[in-house]
Amino acid sequence: MTAHIPAPMTAAESALMDAYAAQLGDLPGDGAVLSARDTLLSELKAAGLPTRRVEAWHYTDLRALLRTVPTYDATAFVQPVEPLTAGSAVLRVLGGHADASGAPEGLDVITYAQSLLDGSAAGDLAARGDEDAIGRLNGSFVRDGLEVSLAEDSVLAQPLELQIVQSAGQSHLRFPFTFGARSKATVIERHLSQGDTASLISSVSDLIIEDGADVTWILVQEQGASDTHLGQLNFELGADAQFRLFVINAGGKLVRQEVHGVVNGEGSDFKLRAVNLMGGESHTDLTFTLGHDVPNTTSTEIIRNVVFDRARGVFQGQIRVAQDAQKTDAKMACNTLLLSDDADFSAKPELEIFADDVQCGHGATVIDLNPTHLYYLQARGIPEKRARQMLVNAFVDEVVEELEDEAVVAALEGIIETWLDRHA
Amino acid sequence: MAAVQETIDQVRLIDVDQYKYGFESAIEMDKAPKGLSEEIIRFISAKKDEPEWMLAWRLEAYQRWLTMDEPNWARVDYPKIDFNDIHYYAAPKSQSGPKSIDEVDPEILKIYEKLGIPLREQEILAGVKSSKIAVDAVFDSVSVVTTFKEELKKAGVIFMSISEAIREYPDLVRQYLGSVVPTTDNYYATLNSAVFTDGSFVFVPKGVRCPMELSTYFRINEKNTGQFERTLIIAEEGAYVSYLEGCTAPQRDENQLHAAVVELVALDDAEIKYSTVQNWYPGDKQGKGGIYNFVTKRGDCRGHRSKISWTQVETGSAITWKYPSCILRGDESRGEFYSIAVSNGHQQIDSGTKMIHLGKNTSSRIISKGIAAGVSQNTYRGQVSAHRRATNARNFTQCDSLLIGDRCGAHTVPYIEAKNATAQFEHEATTSKISEDQLFYCLQRGIPEEAAIALIVNGFVKEVIQELPMEFAVEAQKLIGISLEGSVG
Repeated sequence: MTAHIPAPMTAAESALMDAYAAQLGDLPGDGAVLSARDTLLSELKAAGLPTRRVEAWHYTDLRALLRTVPTYDATAFVQPVEPLTAGSAVLRVLGGHADASGAPEGLDVITYAQSLLDGSAAGDLAARGDEDAIGRLNGSFVRDGLEVSLAEDSVLAQPLELQIVQSAGQSHLRFPFTFGARSKATVIERHLSQGDTASLISSVSDLIIEDGADVTWILVQEQGASDTHLGQLNFELGADAQFRLFVINAGGKLVRQEVHGVVNGEGSDFKLRAVNLMGGESHTDLTFTLGHDVPNTTSTEIIRNVVFDRARGVFQGQIRVAQDAQKTDAKMACNTLLLSDDADFSAKPELEIFADDVQCGHGATVIDLNPTHLYYLQARGIPEKRARQMLVNAFVDEVVEELEDEAVVAALEGIIETWLDRHA
Repeated sequence: MAAVQETIDQVRLIDVDQYKYGFESAIEMDKAPKGLSEEIIRFISAKKDEPEWMLAWRLEAYQRWLTMDEPNWARVDYPKIDFNDIHYYAAPKSQSGPKSIDEVDPEILKIYEKLGIPLREQEILAGVKSSKIAVDAVFDSVSVVTTFKEELKKAGVIFMSISEAIREYPDLVRQYLGSVVPTTDNYYATLNSAVFTDGSFVFVPKGVRCPMELSTYFRINEKNTGQFERTLIIAEEGAYVSYLEGCTAPQRDENQLHAAVVELVALDDAEIKYSTVQNWYPGDKQGKGGIYNFVTKRGDCRGHRSKISWTQVETGSAITWKYPSCILRGDESRGEFYSIAVSNGHQQIDSGTKMIHLGKNTSSRIISKGIAAGVSQNTYRGQVSAHRRATNARNFTQCDSLLIGDRCGAHTVPYIEAKNATAQFEHEATTSKISEDQLFYCLQRGIPEEAAIALIVNGFVKEVIQELPMEFAVEAQKLIGISLEGSVG
């Protein structure tokens, strides 16, 4: 057959290569860290940005979608904002610079720049595999972030907000978190942008949730209409641990948020709840993989998508059940409201089952608003626009209401309503 | 539950060696030398006495094929195929165009007897008159005999081997061949376009309801041969046809390649029902030998209110790579896909469907039932898409997997793509083992366990079995039984 001729580099690919050459001198870390960066960049260069021929990127052709890469700008001005819920402890990363101060008691926090400088981060930089473009990009360029550990048996009374604000340029961040055995915490990872200048963020959070820990992680992505957000959240779940992950995408032009989990402690439970609000000309992709590797674990995932305008939405979800993972109970549902003929939505919910004594299922629907419901509301004098908003709101709110903390629920509902006011 | 464990152990013990169609028939064969080249294609074309345009079409496909890469996205694992180690043409020697069934080599007839194919017209005539079935039998590379040709002709239906059709109705073939699966479509379809040797051709003219079930039996007999058949079915405005194909092959140590292409065209108000009972040799219990079944099947609902329905019962082949699809081009057209895929031993199945909604008010329904046992891997891979102008596209998909034993795998990979707000797609998939509650319920009522499992599995696949023509529903049920023997009795 014909030999494979590598495609010429796109503008964005060349820009990334140039950016690496330009930044190399002041990227933190040397020795092992530097050689890890070099490996990742050469892998990225060899493979190029993924196209739809790469199965994990089937619906997000990054090579075609990522047109330009904003130049790194260390001086872009960014202002801190109020936390989402009053009383939260806040750790800030402003314009790519992390600040480890302000941590509540029980938390051990250092900046990731420090771990890069002292070389301790070197082992974590490798990519997840051949299709891990985000890992490669992030590992090559990462400058900062926060490395946090919560001691065994500690309980954080108030949510911890990770406030990540960007106004221009690019930032590549990492957040390794360890939740000690039987600890309990709520963390809000919040991505915001200021100003209209396009920026590029890659953010990788690595969570280790030890035996018996109880963690709620809320990922709120509200970047600007011209921003690119490439996020990845990896987690490992210990025995009898509970992990609830909420993902809200309500911004960005090109968004890919990956969630990769491994359930490797018996008796543990994982829940993913996601609300993806898509409008304008944006492209939003939520890609999720979960491995059940041990017996007697449960997981449920509910993903609600709302697509307006000319937006494109993607959900890929894969549940793997290993041969030994008997008695796994895994259920995934992806429901989409497709509200415009110019919008589109693609879903690929996958099950990969190697154990026989399991209960696994997935469901996926794509529909428009139910005309009878609309009629019901309009017949009661509610104008159409408002009625549509109410129905869309009800569709996504169901997911948010599952959160225990009422202040957090109110804050998230606020984000959703503001977004809907702008788009619906 | 100990009783269930016993069943699982039994499943482990059984192997696919019980393949009862694994005899080999001693028939003199006329074979092309091994390998693939322009010469071989010219040889095939000359053997078939084809017109010039057909040869040109084949050669163009061959040139295209040379530039293509073998697809590797499916969840199947096999050693690289040496495409030059295959005979691309093999024909029973005595074949000089039998005029009637009596002229067919009695050895071949014996094979069909062994296969239990009701080839002889009198046998069928002896049965119920209304359940007549016309059969086209393809043996390695050539169609051996087509029955009921004359009677079908009276109704206006053309049913013959595609090589004959190329000679007798070149314009008709030329108009439709490759219009659903173009020569550029995919690696195996392109290969097939270059080297296809025979297959069936069906043409049902406007307003005709085909008076009987049409059926083709494919058999690979020779060693080292590939079978590349091409089937083309056209239903004109308001026509109806129901077609069934069955396939078997002898047991052999080496792997044999089967790369077929099936094209269906349904014009306005036409309906085509296409059923497959696929029972190619699956290999032995060590996973040695067996057929590689790489098939491209696609139906084009070209006309308004047309309907194409695929029903498949897949129990054979070492590897199955097959996605019978519907292109719903006409307004209000409908596509259906009903599938039972049973894998045991070392079998690997990656199969499913594509429903491409292009017209307005189109609808589709997918029911897929996968049963995995032994150390087999059973994957459903399907695509449902609604294009921008496909207003009110409607799909319902249900794929259920049943696992018997803990060393097999069941996978579901649906691709759902909506580009229209009025589209309404529903997809659900489940994976489980036989419910202990159901089993307990049966046992408690004195049904022996084997019978109970058979009952439950039959219930599990019932929705699909119902879609098969009656004559073949029985055959399919038996086949599923044999494939899972030891677990479903």
